[in-house]
Amino acid sequence: MGPGKHDQAQDKSKELLQGTLDMLILKAVSLGPLHGYGVLLRIQQISGEELVVQQGSLYPALYRLEHQGAIASEWGESENNRRAKYYRLTKLGRERLGEETEKWKRMSGIINGILKTTPEAL
Amino acid sequence: MSSPFGWVWSGVARLRSRVRSMIQRGRLEAEMEAELAHHLEARTADLIRTGCEPGDAARRARIELGSPLMRKENMRASVGLRWIDELAADLRYAVRMLRKSPGFTAIAVGSLALGIGANTAIFTVAQHMLLDRLDVSHPEQLRMFYLNEPRDGVVEDMWGWWDDLPGGEHVSTSLTYPVYEQLRSQNKSLADVMAFKPYGRMTVTIRGQAEAMEAEMVSGNYYSVLGVRPQLGRGIQESDDEEEGSGPVVTISDRLWTQHFGRSPDVIGKVISVNATPMTVVGVNPPGFTGAYSAQGTPDIFLPFSMQPIAAPQELDASWSSSSLLTNKNLWWVLVMGRIKPGVSSATAEASQNVALNAAVRSTMTVKNDSQIPRLLLRDGSRGQNPDADDFGKPIYVLMVLAGLVLLLACANLANLLLARAGARQRETSTRLALGAGRGRILRQMMTESLLLSLLGGAGGLLLAFVVRDALPRLVSNLWAPPAFSTNFSWPIFAFAVAVSIATGIIFGLGPALQATRVQVNSSLKDSGQTVTHRRRGLAGKTIVTLQVALSMVLVVGAGLFVRTLMQLGHVPLGFRSHNLLLFSVELPEKLYPKLASTTLLQRLEERLKAVPGVQMVTLTRDPLISGSASNSTFIPEGQSRKAEGNPSALVNRVGAHFFETFGIPIVAGRGFGASDSQTSRKVAVVNESLAKTFYPKVNPIGRTFETGGHHPYTIQIVGVCGDAKYYRVRKSAEPTYYTPYAQQDDGMHGATFAIATKMEGQAFLPSLRDAIREVDPNLPMLDVRTQDEQIAANLRQERIFAILTSGFGVLALVLACVGIYGVMAYSVSQRTNEIGIRMALGARPERVLRMVLGEATWMVLMGECAGIGAALGLARTIASMLYGLKPWDPATFGLSSVLLLLAALGASGYPAWRAAAVQPIEALRHE
Repeated sequence: MGPGKHDQAQDKSKELLQGTLDMLILKAVSLGPLHGYGVLLRIQQISGEELVVQQGSLYPALYRLEHQGAIASEWGESENNRRAKYYRLTKLGRERLGEETEKWKRMSGIINGILKTTPEAL
Repeated sequence: MSSPFGWVWSGVARLRSRVRSMIQRGRLEAEMEAELAHHLEARTADLIRTGCEPGDAARRARIELGSPLMRKENMRASVGLRWIDELAADLRYAVRMLRKSPGFTAIAVGSLALGIGANTAIFTVAQHMLLDRLDVSHPEQLRMFYLNEPRDGVVEDMWGWWDDLPGGEHVSTSLTYPVYEQLRSQNKSLADVMAFKPYGRMTVTIRGQAEAMEAEMVSGNYYSVLGVRPQLGRGIQESDDEEEGSGPVVTISDRLWTQHFGRSPDVIGKVISVNATPMTVVGVNPPGFTGAYSAQGTPDIFLPFSMQPIAAPQELDASWSSSSLLTNKNLWWVLVMGRIKPGVSSATAEASQNVALNAAVRSTMTVKNDSQIPRLLLRDGSRGQNPDADDFGKPIYVLMVLAGLVLLLACANLANLLLARAGARQRETSTRLALGAGRGRILRQMMTESLLLSLLGGAGGLLLAFVVRDALPRLVSNLWAPPAFSTNFSWPIFAFAVAVSIATGIIFGLGPALQATRVQVNSSLKDSGQTVTHRRRGLAGKTIVTLQVALSMVLVVGAGLFVRTLMQLGHVPLGFRSHNLLLFSVELPEKLYPKLASTTLLQRLEERLKAVPGVQMVTLTRDPLISGSASNSTFIPEGQSRKAEGNPSALVNRVGAHFFETFGIPIVAGRGFGASDSQTSRKVAVVNESLAKTFYPKVNPIGRTFETGGHHPYTIQIVGVCGDAKYYRVRKSAEPTYYTPYAQQDDGMHGATFAIATKMEGQAFLPSLRDAIREVDPNLPMLDVRTQDEQIAANLRQERIFAILTSGFGVLALVLACVGIYGVMAYSVSQRTNEIGIRMALGARPERVLRMVLGEATWMVLMGECAGIGAALGLARTIASMLYGLKPWDPATFGLSSVLLLLAALGASGYPAWRAAAVQPIEALRHE
């Protein structure tokens, strides 16, 4: 059975964040290989505990990035000696991270400019 | 910073990921499970570390992650597996649905299989007869030399194919040998120019056994121009063709090698006898090679032109001296082909060769001032001359159109069945929509079902075409000739069937599927289905059935026209008796029976055969009757002067003394031939009534003379007039014809067909005939044994094939139309049970209901017939040239077809009508 209508609605609202989530995951993984849960913690950590990623969208995003070739996976041993799947950044992913960063900087610059506009400047 | 082809690498990665997830599905699932499990463990451990209860921690971790099923579903979607899973699910569901209604499946798949099978079979024939190219290297570079000749041009004597063009011109492919030699030596614009001639049959004796085989005479550069490499030994080469008799060699076909030499490699160097001339086998052609004339030819031996004067001096006309045809400047007979030179366009080459032709003709022949030299055309030679395309092109297209109509009918049936099914599953569809399925998703599921049906039908059709594949070449060749093409099933045929199936499934499944998803969820979930959509759905079904009836009308009318044509041809008076006549042909090699020795042999054969018990009468003819070929000759009545060109001519046949009695042709004036008409007595002829009316309108032709002969004219006296008899085709009415006794041919006769009047059965009788022939000449094979009736049937082969095929299509069309009508009427009745119940409760009698239902069906059929009559008339006009003895708008055929369709429709709607009349009002009113 496929996702029903209400699930689609949820997905739609997350689309806006999908691009940013991808970028955050790539950044997190660029700092060193991580398993899924580790990515979650790392993002939390580097955001200064401000950002908590929705756990539901984490793994689909990881699988999507791996499908696109931005990250690669291999099985290894985690901290508590259990088998876990570790993700690391590929060359393609590094390029992708660079592109996304540039886009974000440009976008935020534009939005900043818009928000700074005063009635007198018009 | 980014690499230029980042998207390419990404695409590659995507592809790899997709493939891997499909192949290693099990591992993927296990990994997903393990990964999520590890996540839960880690989260639980963290929560416990921050002070949660273990049970609580586990619960919280699970809630945070969410449903693992959903997560895994999304993960699968990320990897692109969703559409595969959905497709698999759709297929499983479709199979289950089809298994649950076997009747529906059987009808749909069965009718599709028949439609697709018929189309595939016809396409196979079309591909082989019209599209197949010669099996040589780069056939598209070959150019065939065609000549457009004016009526009164330099070409007077020709042996070969020709056709009429509008404007009085002829087109042919034959040149004189000296002209060809000049063209070849002067050629600059083509890579090379070669010549060949499908020579007809020669007597080939292998290890003492004599047989007649098709021969092709070739020039020394034939193999090099065509680019054909023999599979054993060598081809004919230049040194074999240098001068007369310099190359007593042959190459043989793969079939001959298999049948007579058991594919043994020591066939090279063996000596066989061709027309009593010893020749050495030097090579075996590759299996697919059919000679240069067409892709459907079957020549078995190939010999160089240099051997023509020795092995096959051809006697063509009583007035010809049997000189070598190679030095004959007036006979146009060799076919010429060239290969284009890279860098030189076809147009340039054509112009240049035209100039060369002019020069060649003027230097080899004496050309009178006002005589016109033919114009040369270079046409595509990739299929040789492809004579079959001319003969069979139109009939094959007609058959393809008809087969296409049958397929359309079957598809209409499919659409109707799918519509009915969608209607029956209305509630299920509404439920799905209410539960949140997208319309696109349901559409996809229904299309999967219709595609599955159509692909099954396509597989069935392909199987059907495969089963009848051996019968297909038989359709286009004579019973006593080898099959016209090999029956290999090639990729284009397979691809054709698949493409047709897929197109069918998509086109005819889309409509019903779209309509099914357009339902109003709200109203169709309610108990009674009485909404607006119901009425409209009924209309769609009825429209389709009306179209089906129209299509059936076209097919049934077509079948009727062809069947009646065949019947007309079967009953047309021939002018001679055709029953109980056994025919066989002989070919006498000139070497063994030079000139009049052939006449003596034929006379001895006549006598010996007459003595065989069971034989009533024996005679022989130069050209067998109704065989598609005839001879003609100049005919200048006494008193008229011979012109330089454009003299009148008539058909002629050289016959034995008892010709008229054997064939039952009445002598209406004067006498027939007798023993007194010999080589030494005065030359005589018997003319038919048509000739008498044409050339001697008001006078008695007996006793008058006429002049005939090309370059050595002579006079003949008319001694009798006989009744008109058809000569070379059943369709052609008798033309002016004169008959002469073969004993009076100055150069003898080397090819003849014997006609034996006998009441004996063929099989038991033949050995005694063979023995009689062997007594006279042990090395003379009996060729083409058949009865005169079989010969006539062969001439009507195409008409018979059409009658059979179109009747099959017509029957199929009737069946499909009936199935369609039955389906629609049954559905309509079932939908209207409520209404019928009310009517009956209000006092309507069962007969009234019966009439109502039957009336509805009749109305549908009449509308369909009206729609179909226009198309049927159009078809009839297109095929008018193929009909005989009927007008295209033949009222009997149209009338009968209409009545037949109406009766069939009434029969088909009989059962639903009876069911309607038997409705119990109480039950019907409860039926919701």
